[in-house]
Amino acid sequence: MGGSMTMSAVAQSTANAPETGSAPGEPLLVVRKLTKTFARSRSLMDLVKGEPRRRVHALTEVDLSVRRGETLGIVGESGCGKSTLARCLVRLHRVDSGSVTYDGLDVVALRGAALRRFNRRVQMVFQDPYGSLNPRMTVRATIAEALSVHRICPRREMPARIAALMDLVHLPLSAAGRRPHEFSGGQRQRIGIARALALEPDCLIADELVSALDVSVQAQMVNLLLELQERLHLTVLFIAHDLRLVRHLSHRVAVMYLGRVVELAETEALFAHPRHPYTRALLDAAPELDPSRRGSAEAAVRGELPSPVNPPPGCAFHPRCPVAIEYCRRVRPELVRLRDGRLAACHLAATEDGLVQSTEL
Amino acid sequence: MSGALPTLAEAPTEASLRRKRLRISVPLTLGIIITVFFLVCAIVPGWIAPYDPLSFDYSNLQVGPSWIHLLGTDNFGRDELSRIIWAAQVDIQIALFCTIPPLIVGTIIGSLVGYYGGIADMIFGRVVDLVVTFPFMVLVIAIVAVLGPGLVNVYIAVSAVGWVFYARLVRSEIMVLRQADFAAAGRVMGYSDLRIIFRHLLPNALIAVVVYWMTDMALDILLGSSLGYLGLGAQPPTAEWGVLVSDGKNFMDTSWWMSVFPGIAIVLCGTGLSLLGDGVADLLAVKR
Amino acid sequence: MTTPLLSIRGLRTTLATERGQVTVVDGVDLDVQPGEILGLVGESGSGKSMTLRSILRLIRAPGRVSGQVLWRGRDLVPLREAEMRAIRGREIGMIFQEPMTALNPVLSVGAQILENLVAHTDLGRSARQARAVELLDLVGISAPAQRVNDYPHQFSGGMRQRAMIAIALASNPTLLLADEPTTALDVTIQDQILKLLMHLRATLKMAVILVTHDLGVVAQSCDRVAVLYAGRVAEYGAVGPVFAAPHHAYTLGLLRSVPDARHARQPLRPIGGAPPAPDTVGERCAFMPRCAYATAACATARPPLVSLSDGRLSACVHWDQLEANEWAAV
Repeated sequence: MGGSMTMSAVAQSTANAPETGSAPGEPLLVVRKLTKTFARSRSLMDLVKGEPRRRVHALTEVDLSVRRGETLGIVGESGCGKSTLARCLVRLHRVDSGSVTYDGLDVVALRGAALRRFNRRVQMVFQDPYGSLNPRMTVRATIAEALSVHRICPRREMPARIAALMDLVHLPLSAAGRRPHEFSGGQRQRIGIARALALEPDCLIADELVSALDVSVQAQMVNLLLELQERLHLTVLFIAHDLRLVRHLSHRVAVMYLGRVVELAETEALFAHPRHPYTRALLDAAPELDPSRRGSAEAAVRGELPSPVNPPPGCAFHPRCPVAIEYCRRVRPELVRLRDGRLAACHLAATEDGLVQSTEL
Repeated sequence: MSGALPTLAEAPTEASLRRKRLRISVPLTLGIIITVFFLVCAIVPGWIAPYDPLSFDYSNLQVGPSWIHLLGTDNFGRDELSRIIWAAQVDIQIALFCTIPPLIVGTIIGSLVGYYGGIADMIFGRVVDLVVTFPFMVLVIAIVAVLGPGLVNVYIAVSAVGWVFYARLVRSEIMVLRQADFAAAGRVMGYSDLRIIFRHLLPNALIAVVVYWMTDMALDILLGSSLGYLGLGAQPPTAEWGVLVSDGKNFMDTSWWMSVFPGIAIVLCGTGLSLLGDGVADLLAVKR
Repeated sequence: MTTPLLSIRGLRTTLATERGQVTVVDGVDLDVQPGEILGLVGESGSGKSMTLRSILRLIRAPGRVSGQVLWRGRDLVPLREAEMRAIRGREIGMIFQEPMTALNPVLSVGAQILENLVAHTDLGRSARQARAVELLDLVGISAPAQRVNDYPHQFSGGMRQRAMIAIALASNPTLLLADEPTTALDVTIQDQILKLLMHLRATLKMAVILVTHDLGVVAQSCDRVAVLYAGRVAEYGAVGPVFAAPHHAYTLGLLRSVPDARHARQPLRPIGGAPPAPDTVGERCAFMPRCAYATAACATARPPLVSLSDGRLSACVHWDQLEANEWAAV
C-alpha cells in the first residue's frame, strides 16, 4: 500500500531530522531559571492607594531538561504553572527571564522565520478537544494546511501523506472530509496529533492531552502515544495532573508547585520514594485503585494553594507542609541534586543526605 | 491493535441528511424569493416593466390602479409599476454600494485591531466613540451636505461612517476567537498572523457579519430613500423609491397609490433581506 | 439485610432533545442501605448523573421520570411537586460538581445556610445563626464565625464545595446525593473533600450516593458500587469484591483501562470503540459491540440484572467466565 510506504517515510524523515543532534539520552531541551509573570489589571482602589501593579507569578526560576527520546512527565495541580511552562516552551508566551535551549538553539531569542522553523521541530497538542481545531475546517484541510505552509511535500503527494498521517493516528480515511463537530473527544485529539505530526517534529508537548476524555478513551490515547513515540522516536513532554497516567508514560517526572519545580526524578524512584513533602502529599492524596489499600482517615495535606500573587516567603509549600520547620519559613530551598541523583527543593531532604550542615537549620 | 481503533462517529445517515435539507427553512425560502425578485427587477427592468418609466402620458394623469396600469399612474401619467421596477435598480445599487465598501474595510480593520489589540485598538476605540456619539443619519447628511447631493456622494458618506460598525462587530468577535486554542495551535504550527486571522478566525466570525450586512442593506435602502425624500440622494427624473414616496406625498388625498406602493416596495425589500440574513446565518452555523 | 433506605426499581428517564425523546436512564435498579456510601460510576453518557437527578425529579419539564423510587417505603415518582419539595433538601440533600454555579453569588454563604434552616427546621433566629456557624465548622472551614458572612467568590474552590455541603447538611438529611463533587477539584483538595464526606457519614449516620467517573474515588471512599452503562446498572456489589473479581465485562474493561504502576510504558488494554448513543441499543447487551467475551448469547436480549452470591448483581451473560483482575491477584 502506498499509504504505509509514505507512513514509513514520515517515520524515517523524523528519525533522521536532527542532523546536528546529540545522541539519545543527551539533553535536547534545557530550561534554566525560566520566569514568567502575568500583570493583573489594577482596580480603581489600587490606583487611589498608589499600589504597584500586581503580578501573578506563574513560573519562577524553573530548571529542567528533557533528554532526547524520553518522555518527561510534568505533574502538579492547577495553578502550578505546568501549562504556562508548555506555552513558554513553544513560544506562545514571551518569557520574562531565563533561558530555553533546544538542541543548542536559543529559543527565547527566536523571531520570524527562525521561530517558525523551531516550531516545526517542537509541536504541541492541546487539552481542549473542542477548542483546538478550527470548527470550519475538515480533517483533510487541517492537515493539508500544515503540509503546504511548511512545504513538507509536493502538492501531488499530499493526498498520500494525509492518508499516511491519518493512518498513523488510527483515524479511518473516510473521516478526511468531516469537520470537528462530527467527532468524539478522543477522535478530535487524534486529529490534533495528526496535525502536529504533519510537521515531522522531533519533540511533542502534550498539555493535558487526555484529561477531558473518559477512562476507556484515555487508555486508547495512552497506547497511541506509546506507539507513536516508538515509531517516530519522539521526545515527549507529557503534562498532566493525573499521577497514574504520568507514572505510566514517563521515564522521568518533574513535580511542580506554585510555579517552581520541587522534585525531578526517575519515575519509579519518585513514586516509590518521594523526597519532597509535596510529592509525598500528592501521592497520598491520589486515590489508589485497590480498595483493600485504603489511606488514612486524615487528608493527605491540609490547606489550599496560596495565592500566586503573593507567594509565601521561604519554601512555597511550608504553610501546608506537615514537616516544615522555622527555617523553611524564612529561606527558600534551592533545587539541589540529592545522593541518588534526583533533584529536590527541600531543606529537610538536603539535610538528610548530608548536603547541608544541620547547624545551618 | 484492534482494541485501540476508534469507531467513527456514525456516518451521515439519512436522518441527518434530512435534517440538513430541512434547514432551508420557510423564512429563508421567502427571503430568497423576495430578494431574487428585486434583483431581477434591478438587473433587467426593461424586460419586466410594462411601460417606459420616463415617458409622459398626459391623457392618463393620476389614474388609479386598473388592469391597464396595475399600480396606477403619477402626475405626469408615468406608469407607477414601471417606475417602481426601474427604481429597484437604483435602490439595490444603493444597498450594495453603501454596504460593500464598509463591509470590506470594516472587516479588515476590525480583524486586525481585534487580533493585535494594543495602541491601534485604543485609537480605534476613540474613533468608535466619536462616530457613535452622533446619530448615523446626522453624520451622513452632514457629509452629503458638504460634498453636494447625488448618489455617489451618498455612497461616500455612508461608507465613511458605516465601516466603523462592521469593524466594531468583527473586532469583538475576533477578540473572543483569538483566545481559542485553535488560534494558539495555528501559532505553534508556525502559521503567519495573517493566515491565522483571515483563514482561521475570520471565517468563524462571518456569521455575525453576514447577518448585520443584510440588515444594513435594508437600513441603507431606507436611508437612501430618506435622502431621496429630502432631495439629497437620487435626483429627478431618476426613479428611486424614496423619491417616489416623496413625489406622491403632495397627492396623498387624491392619489394614495403614488406613495403607498413604493413604500410597500421598500418594506418588502427590507423584509426579504432580513429573512435572507437570518436564514443564511442558520445555514452557516457550524457546531463546535 | 436491613430494609433499604432507598430502593429504586425500573427507573426510566426520558429527556426532550432536538432529536426527539431520548431515554437516558433505561431501567435502573438500585438499593441504598442506611448510612452507606454508594458509588455510581460510569463514563460520560452512562446516565449516572441523570439517575441521581431523577431520584429528586430534577428533570426539566418535557422530560419524564417513571418507574419506582421507594424512599423509606414511600414511592416518590407519583408525588406532586409540593410534596416533593418537602423531601428535597430536607430528607434528601444534594451537592453538585460546580459549587460556583450552584451557590448564589449575591448571597453570603451564611445567608444561604440560614435559608435552608428557615425552610426545613423550626429553629429560632439566634439558634439558626449559631447553627450556621456550627455547620461551617463541621465541614472544616476555619474561623467559621467570621467566614459565615463571606460571599462565594471570596472562597476558594475547595471551600465552596465545603460551603455547599454545609448548606445541604443544614436540614440533617438522611441521604446526601453528591454529583461529581470532586471532579472540578485538584487531587489534594479532592482528598480533603472525600475524607470530609466519609467523616460526616460516620458521625451523622447519613447515607451518600456518590456519582463519579473515577474508579479510584470509588475504591477509596465507597462501601458499595453500581457500575452504569448505557443507562442501566451493569454490575452492583460491595466495592472490594467487585474490584477484585468483576462480574461484568464492562467493569473489567474499565479497571484495565486505568494505568497501573507495575506495567509502566506497556500498552494498556482499553475498551475499544465508544459507548452507544441513547436509544440505539436494541435487544442485545449494550456492551456487546465493544466486548471481548461477546457471543451469540449476548445478542438475543438485553441481559437482566441477576442476583449472584454475596448480594452481588450482574447483567453480564458471561459473568462467571471473566478473567480475574490481575493486580488484585497480587
